[in-house]
Amino acid sequence: MAERLVIDPITRIEGHLRVEVEINDGKVTDAYSAGTMVRLLEEILKGRDPRDAWAFVGRVCGVCTTVHSLASVRAVEDALDITIPPNAELVRNLMFCTQYMHDHVVHFYHLHAMDWVDVVAALKADPKATSEIAQSISNWPKSSPGYFSDLQKRIKKFVESGQLGIFANGYWGHPAYKLPPEINLIGLAHYLEALEWQKEIVKVHTIFGGKNPHPNYLVGGMACAIGLDESSAINAERLAYVGQLLKDAKEFINQVYIPDLLAVAPYYLDWGAIGGGLGNYLVYGDMSANGYRDTAGYKFPSGAILNKDLSQVYEVDLREDAQVQEFISNSWYSYAEGNDVGKHPWEGETTLKYTGPKPPYEFLDVDQKYSYLKTPRWKGHAMEVGPLARVLVGYARGREDYKEVVDSTLSKLGVPATALFSTLGRTAARGLESILVADWAQEFFDQLIGNIRNGDTRMANMEMFDPKHWPAKAVGVGHTEAPRGALGHWIVIEDQKIANYQLVVPTTWNGSPRDHNGQRSAYESALLDTPVADPERPVEILRTIHSFDPCMACAVHLYDEEGKHLSRVSVMGD
Amino acid sequence: MKTKVLILGVGNVLMGDEGVGVHVARALESHLWPEGVVVLDGGTGGFHLMEHLELADQVIMIDATLDHRPAGTVRRLRPRFAREFPKALSSHDIGLRDLLEGLTILDRMPEIILYAVSIDTVQSQTIDLSEELERVLDPLCADIRNFARSLIEDPTFCCDGYLDPIGEDEGRLYAHYDIHAKFQEP
Repeated sequence: MAERLVIDPITRIEGHLRVEVEINDGKVTDAYSAGTMVRLLEEILKGRDPRDAWAFVGRVCGVCTTVHSLASVRAVEDALDITIPPNAELVRNLMFCTQYMHDHVVHFYHLHAMDWVDVVAALKADPKATSEIAQSISNWPKSSPGYFSDLQKRIKKFVESGQLGIFANGYWGHPAYKLPPEINLIGLAHYLEALEWQKEIVKVHTIFGGKNPHPNYLVGGMACAIGLDESSAINAERLAYVGQLLKDAKEFINQVYIPDLLAVAPYYLDWGAIGGGLGNYLVYGDMSANGYRDTAGYKFPSGAILNKDLSQVYEVDLREDAQVQEFISNSWYSYAEGNDVGKHPWEGETTLKYTGPKPPYEFLDVDQKYSYLKTPRWKGHAMEVGPLARVLVGYARGREDYKEVVDSTLSKLGVPATALFSTLGRTAARGLESILVADWAQEFFDQLIGNIRNGDTRMANMEMFDPKHWPAKAVGVGHTEAPRGALGHWIVIEDQKIANYQLVVPTTWNGSPRDHNGQRSAYESALLDTPVADPERPVEILRTIHSFDPCMACAVHLYDEEGKHLSRVSVMGD
Repeated sequence: MKTKVLILGVGNVLMGDEGVGVHVARALESHLWPEGVVVLDGGTGGFHLMEHLELADQVIMIDATLDHRPAGTVRRLRPRFAREFPKALSSHDIGLRDLLEGLTILDRMPEIILYAVSIDTVQSQTIDLSEELERVLDPLCADIRNFARSLIEDPTFCCDGYLDPIGEDEGRLYAHYDIHAKFQEP
C-alpha cells in the first residue's frame, strides 16, 4: 500500500523546507519538495541605491552571511563596469575560502553527521579501542584513551538530563546507523572540537570585513585599509593572525574532517548507489588568483554536465536569455505573460499569488502549485548545483588537483567512479573540495602578502562610485559558488536606482518544484528509490536531503505558522 | 578586554518585526556606555555569534518571539536551557538554539537574560517595524539601559531575588514579568 509521508520542517538549521514523499514497498516512489515561506527580498530592494544592496542581501541568512553580499557587489560592479584592485579580489577570495571551510565543516559535523553517527551509541564505546582507531586514521593529537573517556562521561550527563536537542531529537538506535560505537564516539568528539574551531576561523571575516556576523563589503573593492604599521588598519599583526587561522583551518580539515569522512564512508558504501538523482550538474565558477573576470583562471571552473556524461562539459553564459530561466508553473507566483513562460532573471518578476491550502494543513495539493520556490532551468534542463557539481566539472575538465583528490578517494574506498553520483558522493565531494579550498586559501594569502610587500596597498576603485558617472540604464550579473551551490544576482539599474533585482540561489535550483514539463528538480529526483525502513523515523530521507546542505533562508523567508524544532512526520494510508 | 555585559540584538531585519532585536541594538549602539558593555547587532548570526557570547560574563539578548501574546508584549526571562528560548523565531531560530546548546556542552554558556518581544504570527515582508513595535522601542531601550547599568554595578542584580514588574504601557503592550516566574527549578 502506498503511504504519504510528510517531513516538515526538514532542515535542522535555517529555514523552512517541507518534503512529501510517497512510499511503496519500503521505497520512495514519488517526492515533492516545497518551500513554505514566502520570498520577497526582490521587492524590498526595488528603488534603493544599488551601492547599498549588499547590506540588505547579506541579512538574508545567518549561515552564508558573505555569499550574497559578494554576489551583490559583483552584480553592481558588472553593471557599472568597475574593475576592482587585485588586493580586493584576494581579500574577497580569502573571506570566501573562510566561508567555505567554516560552512562545510559545520555542515558535516553539526548538520549532516547526525544522519550517520549515532551519538547515543557512542556512550557504549570502549575509550581505549576508540583511541587506537583515532590514532590509526590521523595524527590529530587529541586521541588518548583518557580524552575519550572524559568526553564520554561529560556527554552521558547531558544525555541523561534530556536537555539538549542534539541528543533528544535524533532517530538514535535506528537500524540504518551502521557505525561501531568507537567511530560514533570519534564523530561526537569532533562535533565538539569543530564547534570550538569554527569560532576561530570566522575571525578572518572580522579582520577583513570589520565585523562579524554580517561583514562589510563595498562596491568597488573592500572597505579595509592596509597599513602594515597602523594600529587601526589591516596591519602586520592582523595579517599574521589571518595566516595562522588559515593554517589551523587547513590542519583541521586534513587531520580531522577528512579522516572522519573516510572512516565513516566504508560503513555506508551502499549509499554510493542511492540518492543520485538528476545526473545534470551546473557550476557558474569562481575564485581566480587574478580576479573575478579571469574566468579561465577559476579554481572552480564553470560548466554544465548532462546525463552524467563526464566526456563533455558545456559552457555556461549567465547573460544569455535562453540559458538560465525561472519558471513558476508550480510556484505561488504570477507572471504578466502567463503561467508557463520562463523568464531570464533580468526580466524576472516576483509577484506573489498564494493558492495553496490554508495553514495548518495536512498535505499540500501537489496537483496545483505547491511551493514558494520558483523553478530555475538551464537551457530547459533541471540541474543540480553544489559541491558534487563543482567536483565533477573540475574532474571532467581534467584539472589535476581535482583528479588527484577524487581518484585517491575512490581508490581508498574501493568504489567505482559511478559512486560519485549519489548521496555518498555528494557528501564526499564537500570534503574533497574543502581540501582544495584550504590549499587555495594559502595561495591567495601568500599572493596578498607579496603584493603588500611590493608596495601595492590599493583596496578599492572609487572612480565610478559617484552615481553622476553612471549611465541612465545598466544591467549586471554577479555570480559566485556559494558553499551549497551556484549563486547569481541579476540587477537592472535605472536612473541610479534598482529597477529590478533577482536572486537565483542554490536551494532554488536544488529544492524547487517540478517545471511546466513535469520535470523534477534535484531533491525530488534524488529521493526516488530511496529505501525507507521505518516511515515513522525516515532517517534515509534526511540523509539525501541533508547531503545537499539545504538552506531555505535565502530561498524564501518568513514563517507563517509556528515552527517546530523537531521534524514532524506523519504517515497516512493513501 | 573581557566583556562584562553583552547587549545582543538578534533577528532578521528583512522580515519586519522579526528584526526588532536588531532595531534595538542599533538604537543602543550610539548610547554612551560604561566600560565593559558591548552592544552587538547579531543579525541572523547563528554559529557566528559564539565567540561574542563566550567572551561575555552576562548577555542581554533581545529577540522576537511568535508566542501568541499581543504584539509588542515584552517579557524579561532567564532561560536556562537552549530549549527554553523562544521557538518559532524566524529563519535564525534553529541556528541560535544549536549555538546555545553547543555553548552548554562546552560549558561556556554565559548567563543570558532574554528580552522576548512578541510579534504577530503573520508579517508582510518589510524592513520597517509595525506601529505596535515602534511604540515599545523607546521604553524597551530605556529599560535595557537601566538594566545593563544595574548589572555593571552589581552582576548579581538579576539573579538576586524578585524583579518587580515595572508596569504596563498603555494597558497591554509593555509588561515586565518576574524573570523567575516562567522557569522554576524542576
